[in-house]
Amino acid sequence: MRLPLATVLCVAILSLAASGCGKRIDYDVGEVAPPEHLSGPDEHPHHQHDQHGAESAEQMTGARGHVHTPGVRNHGTMWFFNQPWAARFIWSKILRDSAILVGLAILLLLLSRHVHSRRWS
Amino acid sequence: MRAVWAFARMTVRSLLRRRTVWGILIVVLLGLIAIGHVPSFNVQTEGRFVLEFGLFGLEIGALLMALGLAVNLYPRDRESGTILPLVAVPISRGQYLMGRFLGSALVQIVALLVGCVGLMVILILNDLSIPSTLLPGTLLLLVEGLFLLAVVFFFSFWTSPPLNVPLTLALFVLAQMSVREFVGLFPQAPSLMRLLRLLLPHMDVFHVKDPIAHGESVPLLYFLLACLYGLAYTSFMLSVALAVFRERDL
Amino acid sequence: MSGSCIEVVDLQKHYPTRMGLRRIRAVEGISFSLRNGDILGFLGPNGAGKTTTIKCILGLLRPTSGSVRLWGEPPAAAKVRQRIGFVPENPTYESCFTPLEFLRTFSEMRGLDQGSDFMLGLLGRVGLSGWETTRIDRFSKGMRQRLSLALALQSQPDVLVLDEPTGGLDPLARKEFRDIILEESRRGAAVFLSSHLLSEVEAICDRAVILSQGRKVSEGSMEELLRKKSPYTIRFSLPGSTPVEKRLEGGESELQKEIDSIRRRDGTILAVERTGRSLEEVFLEVTGEER
Repeated sequence: MRLPLATVLCVAILSLAASGCGKRIDYDVGEVAPPEHLSGPDEHPHHQHDQHGAESAEQMTGARGHVHTPGVRNHGTMWFFNQPWAARFIWSKILRDSAILVGLAILLLLLSRHVHSRRWS
Repeated sequence: MRAVWAFARMTVRSLLRRRTVWGILIVVLLGLIAIGHVPSFNVQTEGRFVLEFGLFGLEIGALLMALGLAVNLYPRDRESGTILPLVAVPISRGQYLMGRFLGSALVQIVALLVGCVGLMVILILNDLSIPSTLLPGTLLLLVEGLFLLAVVFFFSFWTSPPLNVPLTLALFVLAQMSVREFVGLFPQAPSLMRLLRLLLPHMDVFHVKDPIAHGESVPLLYFLLACLYGLAYTSFMLSVALAVFRERDL
Repeated sequence: MSGSCIEVVDLQKHYPTRMGLRRIRAVEGISFSLRNGDILGFLGPNGAGKTTTIKCILGLLRPTSGSVRLWGEPPAAAKVRQRIGFVPENPTYESCFTPLEFLRTFSEMRGLDQGSDFMLGLLGRVGLSGWETTRIDRFSKGMRQRLSLALALQSQPDVLVLDEPTGGLDPLARKEFRDIILEESRRGAAVFLSSHLLSEVEAICDRAVILSQGRKVSEGSMEELLRKKSPYTIRFSLPGSTPVEKRLEGGESELQKEIDSIRRRDGTILAVERTGRSLEEVFLEVTGEER
């Protein structure tokens, strides 16, 4: 029980860590996003997102409510675009990790079958 | 493969007799109906609200369904002794795992498709348009559900059901976090946290609720990539689960 | 047929306790073999290690040490599993199925193409005629045992492994089970029968292995076991007295001493007989010694 689990964990740690442990090559889009994503032009320059706390209740809920038209990038919506679907530059990483995971799965299957047949006989 | 399908069909029949499965499906559908009836702030955001919360409801439904379907399957088989005549003679441990997984997956896929149809009906009843990305989005939810199912199976081979549930929930929450958010949980050891996060699945890959709700176009290529990632992680989790199961005494 | 289908060599199985601090020695170095076509009785009191051994033979438990081979292969090998029929001690099955559905599913899982006629015949053979389409959750323990036997016989196995197969059965059903086991043996199948019912084992088995506290305490053909350590009865007369009958439990050495003693006293030996014993007496003696 211990040996295969330890093997599984070691292989998983080494592979996954090796594939994305280096700085700026992981899925953290916020960290690796190109400058245009991090500091794009604000389409509502009259106020800042971090000033919301200071905005009056009227501004947030009244007639001047915080409504954006669909598809328009607004200030304070970095989280919205900092998701993998919007960040094309990590799509290759998704593909790479998929290939690693499939390879690992096959390796584990073969390894566990070998260990199983050796230990149970 | 014939043995796996035969066992999967057996699994589907026995799962459909469980009240938990029907209970979760009913709760999800009631939740969707409730979302359709909540008054929105204004007409412009109503569609977003229904889609955003509807898809969120389906995602939570997939999580609950994965837990409801699989958390007790292996422990119950083992406790009742049902597993002995199966694994002793007609099928191997791998076939047992795949049969149980496929059976549960079929039930989960049908349940999520019912949920998706329910969401479409609510959109139509509220005179809202159905975005073209909803179907690929639902497909991605199905893949996410399969991944969660594989996680529950993995935990079920070496923990008890009361431990399996919190572990799966914890993984579900932590795997949604970005690296930065995860490091923020314990900023004193950023390198360690970063390494830990890299070992967890990146479930943020499945985050397409926001663009769907906001009418953003998500390229089909992305859906395919995300599905591929989800299926690859599912096969990885299943192979780890099998490695553990192969070493278990029954 | 010749050769062994099951070969167990120095099998040990230890379980860790819940905290993992101690180990329970369930089976301690037992060895035996089952020859093709034989019926082997596997006996022992509760907790002797019978079910643990059976699980090791079926690949459900990993031996701590020693080896189990079926036709020279490890137990979990696919080609080995195809040749085995197994009746567990307390069979439990998915209860939403009928026996016929179960046989169909198992047939598919085994990769067999069996028609309904064969399955109905099989259910009739184990005494489930008329119950083919009744859901299993309405079955008594005995009926589940019958279904279990039907599933075990389905593939016409080369080895039948039976773990307390007649535990929940009435005497008539036990007789039917015994008859089926003998039929299978005549067909050429080897039978590994674990049972508490010593009369049953005595009636149908060619050989027996007796376990106690995880160790093998006796093994042999049924004849050898029943004659082993069986007592002698000697009838003799001494000069001037009426004939006397004496039972000697100490085996041949004691018999020889007694004969010498009678001769020294000018007595006449009238008869020497070896008394037959039941398997139950042998069992109680060998397991009692071990305890």
